[in-house]
Amino acid sequence: MKFLMLIFKNLRRNMVRSLLTSAGIMVLVFVITLIWSILGFLDMATSEKAANFKGIVTEKWSIPSQLPFSYAATLEDGAAREESDVKPMDSMTWQFFIGSVDKTNIGFSTFIFAFCMEPKKLLTMMDELDSLQPGPRATLDTAIKAMEGNRQGIIVGQKRLAAIEKKVGDKIKVFGINYRDIELECEIVGTFPPGRYDNNTCINRDYLNASLDAFKAAKGRPHPLAEKTLNLVWVKVPTKDAFSKMSNQIDSSPMFAAPPVKIETASSGVSNFLAAYKDLLMILRYLLAPAIIITLTVVISNAISISVRERRKEMAVLKVIGFQPNQIILLVLGEAILLGVVAGAISSIGTYYFVNRVIGGIPFQIAFFSSFPVLDGALWWGAAIGFITSFAGSILPALSTRSIKVVDVFSKVA
Amino acid sequence: MGDKKSIVLETLTNFISFVSPFFFYFFSLENAWRLIPVCFGLFGLMMLIVYVAKIPINYNIRNLKVRYRTTLLTAMAFILVTAVLTGLMGFINGLKRLAQATGNPSNVIVLSQGSTDEGISNLAFENMGDIAQQDGVKRQNDEPLCSRESYLVLSLPIAEPVPGSPTRRLLQVRGLFDPVASAEVHEFGLISGGEWFSEAGVRPSADPNKAPLVEVVLGQGIARQLAGDRAKAVKEKARNKDQLEVGDTIPLDTRELVVTGIMKTEGTTFDSEVWAKQSVIGPLLGKTNFTTLVLRATGPEQAQKLEDFFMGKDKDFKYEKSQVNAFTETNYYKSQSQTSIQLLVGTILVATVMGFGGVMGVMNTMFAAISQRVKDIGMLRLLGFSRWRILVSFLTESLLIALLGGLIGCVLGYMCNGLQATSIIGGGAGPGGKAVVFRVVVDWGVLGIGLTLSMLMGFVGGLIPAMSAMRFKPLESLRG
Repeated sequence: MKFLMLIFKNLRRNMVRSLLTSAGIMVLVFVITLIWSILGFLDMATSEKAANFKGIVTEKWSIPSQLPFSYAATLEDGAAREESDVKPMDSMTWQFFIGSVDKTNIGFSTFIFAFCMEPKKLLTMMDELDSLQPGPRATLDTAIKAMEGNRQGIIVGQKRLAAIEKKVGDKIKVFGINYRDIELECEIVGTFPPGRYDNNTCINRDYLNASLDAFKAAKGRPHPLAEKTLNLVWVKVPTKDAFSKMSNQIDSSPMFAAPPVKIETASSGVSNFLAAYKDLLMILRYLLAPAIIITLTVVISNAISISVRERRKEMAVLKVIGFQPNQIILLVLGEAILLGVVAGAISSIGTYYFVNRVIGGIPFQIAFFSSFPVLDGALWWGAAIGFITSFAGSILPALSTRSIKVVDVFSKVA
Repeated sequence: MGDKKSIVLETLTNFISFVSPFFFYFFSLENAWRLIPVCFGLFGLMMLIVYVAKIPINYNIRNLKVRYRTTLLTAMAFILVTAVLTGLMGFINGLKRLAQATGNPSNVIVLSQGSTDEGISNLAFENMGDIAQQDGVKRQNDEPLCSRESYLVLSLPIAEPVPGSPTRRLLQVRGLFDPVASAEVHEFGLISGGEWFSEAGVRPSADPNKAPLVEVVLGQGIARQLAGDRAKAVKEKARNKDQLEVGDTIPLDTRELVVTGIMKTEGTTFDSEVWAKQSVIGPLLGKTNFTTLVLRATGPEQAQKLEDFFMGKDKDFKYEKSQVNAFTETNYYKSQSQTSIQLLVGTILVATVMGFGGVMGVMNTMFAAISQRVKDIGMLRLLGFSRWRILVSFLTESLLIALLGGLIGCVLGYMCNGLQATSIIGGGAGPGGKAVVFRVVVDWGVLGIGLTLSMLMGFVGGLIPAMSAMRFKPLESLRG
């Protein structure tokens, strides 16, 4: 305990240096926390799960996938034909509606990107929404019920809602961009919890399909995209084995000849989409993060080296009063590590709460991810980075204290 | 008091509004090379002051040499920050250059109404002929010079994917109505030995039992990438292991694509594309409509007029037969630089934070240097050196470290120049975007920004300790 107090006192003696070093550690840990959160999130999205596999069924060759809606029912059933065939535990269909709330001025403040789907699937199939806390879940459930009662209901992400300057209860008209001449008149019935879906919206698929039918009735011909309205089908299966069986069922089904379809795991699908970002992610992972860690080590090493050089007399006195060389090494290491761990922990924990609670995620668009949460790991990353970098940065200056010879120091003083 | 506050605020606001245009001027990548002479000029000015004011610069340099470990550690922070920043800026510069080089100011891209990206455009076939016949469109052999295109993305399986890496490559395919007209509109030629695909767009396979081969021409970048995707056995037998060549084939389910030519598209977004006959590739991939119509105007001014005409910017003179989105190619690709802007903002944020860490490091060093030399400062003051000379002396010391670190960092960052990279360019809002192959460009502008950041870190990190040094009173300093 006395040893710890001595470390504290030493740190307090040169407050300017301790504060400058801490500030340096904090800002650098802040950046590493952000980078690791983005990379960690993408790693999670692209790593295979052991259970509750999600598979994505899409058009085999073309992107964006555009399938006839007649495929939906069979695919939602996993193309099961026999009693013994595997059926999904759950499934959902996605139809993308890209539009604008202003027909003439199309831009960030008017843009709408909507998933048209069965509203009830939001709580069972959508990543993160399927594991909401009871409070936000109940709020979203209320909006879903409203959407089911009124098929013109629309749920809008909070940032999108702010961008189009609307509020829950308002009515909007969305002019189709990909569906030319389709205009959806919607009533905003709720918002998504803050985070991943801040910029997305959800429309009841029945409303889009009914609008396409209405187009046909009014114009006397089907909409040009009428046979291409189904973009994705998601299926959830319990095991990898069940996924393989279902994959065979879909591949061998005669139902999906033109256009042909493919099924892949959600992680594989995301991974393929992220391939174009490979170099950018490599820069973040193998250049930026290591460079920051080395910079951090250099900053700490510099501070500790200076501190050791300035305190040669003091360390000689410690030796005279009976401190062993190893104890002095521990003293120096202890100062660096305490500073590193405390500053690192404050920074990463602070980042976790500030980014997740105040900002609602790291706003950085990569593929279809528009913001990233700071991961739970951040709660210990800062302390760990602080420990490792301060140890690496201070070990050489600490070891150099062994070479301090009492006679030399005092002969210079004399 | 309130008045003073408002005067201070007003002065600050005026200062910021005065300074910001200079800041944005220099930090645009085109003008940033000017920062290099500015940096050296200011440093030279500093050295001139040192010379004229007879500041003991040798004393500072000797101190840097004596404390060489601390000097090197501090310089290391500058080196790392500058090297990382120049590398990242080089990546963004490459992307930006690519988007800029792609646009031809005489071309006008026509997309369906509301579309800002080819990926979501859906042009009505019946309108295309009329749009192409408008005044201002260049004519050739009495026909409008235009390119009718269908842009689509093909999800192509990779032959032997490495475990944990993507299993498919998203390949950008452009189906063309008339390849020769398209080549003229886009001004691309083929590398010698190649030819455009035939009128039919297919050629018979050597194996009579197989379906005809689909003829394609490739951009140079994608030809290199697809060479890496081949199965090991195929690669070993290939004439060129690094790039697909004329006659090479790409398997596509039961069909095969055969390369008939490689386009000279280096440095443009078309370098990542595969071109084929629309009437063949469209139905094969389930996309029978056109997404894009590119018109060659008689000149850049006429192209701008056509954009205004189709977009209805002039109420009295606008296209009324259908509603479309039209952009000059330069404006279109400028809008596709949104991704670069997002990356630039991220890089500036990271560089600022890393720079702040570096500033803390240099401040530590300089504070330590000053605390060790309190008596020296007292002596200098007694010898007649004024306060500002002490300030300049210590500031010069930190700027010397910054210059050394910055220059080495720039050299390290420059090593990234010319590396091939892949990324996405896009318009920002909503889906879309193009995967592109490009080269990292670390030019004078990027080096200028890197060196400026380093010098700025040295200045900020050295100023506060130097100011504390100049406040020392001579006698008290000598007493210790």
